[in-house]
Amino acid sequence: MSERSFYVRWGRYLVLIALAIPLYIWSWRTADINLIDLVQGAPKARPIISDLVRPSLLARERVTLSVSTVVRVPCDGPAPEPPAAEGPTVSLSATCLNARDPLVVSGSGFRPNTPGRLYWRVAGLEGRLRDEPFETDAQGRFTVQTDIPPLLAQQGGVHALDVELKWEAGTLRPSETLRTTVDKMIETVFLALMATTFGGLVAVPLSFLGARNIMPATLWGNTLYVAVRSFFNTARSIEPLILATIFAIWVGFGPFAGVLALSVHTIASLGKLYSEAAENIDPGPIEAIRSTGANEWQVIWYGVVPQIVPPYVSFTVYHWDINVRMSTIIGFVGGGGIGLELQRWINQLQWNSAATAVWAIVLVVSAMDYASAIVRERLV
Amino acid sequence: MLEIKELTKVYDDGTVALKNVSFTVPDGEFLVIIGLSGSGKSTLLRCINRLIEPTSGQIIWDGVDITAAGQEDLRRIRRQIGMIFQQFNLVKRHTVLTNVLTGRLGYTSTWRSLLGLWSRDDRERALRNLELVGIADKAHNRADELSGGQQQRVGIARALMQAPRLLLADEPVASLDPATSHSVMKYIEWMNRERGLTVLCSLHFLSLARRYGTRIIALRAGELVFDGRPEEIDDRRFKEIYGEDAIEVEIR
Repeated sequence: MSERSFYVRWGRYLVLIALAIPLYIWSWRTADINLIDLVQGAPKARPIISDLVRPSLLARERVTLSVSTVVRVPCDGPAPEPPAAEGPTVSLSATCLNARDPLVVSGSGFRPNTPGRLYWRVAGLEGRLRDEPFETDAQGRFTVQTDIPPLLAQQGGVHALDVELKWEAGTLRPSETLRTTVDKMIETVFLALMATTFGGLVAVPLSFLGARNIMPATLWGNTLYVAVRSFFNTARSIEPLILATIFAIWVGFGPFAGVLALSVHTIASLGKLYSEAAENIDPGPIEAIRSTGANEWQVIWYGVVPQIVPPYVSFTVYHWDINVRMSTIIGFVGGGGIGLELQRWINQLQWNSAATAVWAIVLVVSAMDYASAIVRERLV
Repeated sequence: MLEIKELTKVYDDGTVALKNVSFTVPDGEFLVIIGLSGSGKSTLLRCINRLIEPTSGQIIWDGVDITAAGQEDLRRIRRQIGMIFQQFNLVKRHTVLTNVLTGRLGYTSTWRSLLGLWSRDDRERALRNLELVGIADKAHNRADELSGGQQQRVGIARALMQAPRLLLADEPVASLDPATSHSVMKYIEWMNRERGLTVLCSLHFLSLARRYGTRIIALRAGELVFDGRPEEIDDRRFKEIYGEDAIEVEIR
């Protein structure tokens, strides 16, 4: 190498570096990169992360014990008879009350050391009002002081006061979250399967139109080839998230919207992969079959199909796996599946539950990845 | 008798592969076609069964103009012309038996062949042909599990299934080692001598051409530059065909 070309070469690198530096400074600023926040903010994320490693999986069955009594508001008639009850008993300091009168509720014969709460059931209304919490002592007794809520005082009549105790008992069972997660995960896998199937069924014929070696080199053939290929590239670049938003409006929230969104994406994505596989087939066996006097159907069945089936199947399995991963995300915008639940739990700050969904996704996606790798290995 | 009349092939990109090639092949001949790579040997063979459409000229076989045949007639002509290839061109994922049976496609209805309903007769014939080429025990193996020489023998069995009267062999031994080359060439020779097939075979090595051919034609840049008996190719002719710098390499 002459000295001159040495300088020319390194000079070129220097120019490139000189151009790259301002580009990176600009990008750094635009992207708001702040390493101090990354370090200082870490404690804020700690509770979330610690919840994420403790997913909700098992729970004991919850037992609820409720004892009811009645109160008249205001104090202008005969005191109502409290319903007769066996076992735990609740007694009130007064059975009729005027607004803001204090009320002492005491009970005995309850389960010891158990948390409970008072609830008001308003006469003539659905639902109930939450009042004071309490905890029973070692003898199963409690005393709690409260007063009549303003709404009840206004309403008047005979209202029910529930004393409710809740505790966990029995064997460990899958938690509600886990059950929902399993349910929704199955929905997700099937949603992805449907999308892969629909997408694949449309992509197979389209892929022939998008294969150079299959399309005749005529004006029509070229036009169709270019059209199909452009469709693949355009549709592939539209995020399934956007498609899911559109379909969620079109057919309503739920898995069907997800199936449609993923199908469109799958058509484009598999179509392109299929076309390329079709373009890579060996023309040798095809001309050999043709030379035996076979007709076009026979040439396709004996010369083309055996060559494209393995790559087509392998791409399809691979895409199913991709679709499972994508359907977890499109659930966020109404595409059904586990994503919808995950989004709900995140919004409600139920990080333990969110963790269950996240881990389920990790588990299923890696299992499918592993399975599809085995299938693909067998096929080649 | 096969008559090639002023055959010319110009590819879409302007390459002239064959220029006014004419010759006649009497029945029962073992005609070897020699020439450098790219001299037009493959194109010539593929024009005969119209895997490649000739640009102009005629190919007349027993009075029938192959170049003028319609699709249906062409298939009927093709099924009487066996072809074997340098790369064997087997369907790798199919069994040896299925590959051999594809030689009957031209005689089998579309729906029977798509369902794989081969006649008992075809199956027996396939096994017989595999026995003939010495690989009956491999009938149920996948084609790509076989060695190169064995794959070419499957190719021969496939061609035999057509009960052909003419065999086109495009560099049938160019991918094989010398010992295997001879065993494959002997099968082709057997087809020529015992079955009375007319053979058109392109070869790389002049020594093989001399050993097996009853007649040799040579192509150079798409033109016929020699047509005669093997022993007529002397040093001068050799240089005409292969160029001044060529040295003859023997394969025994």
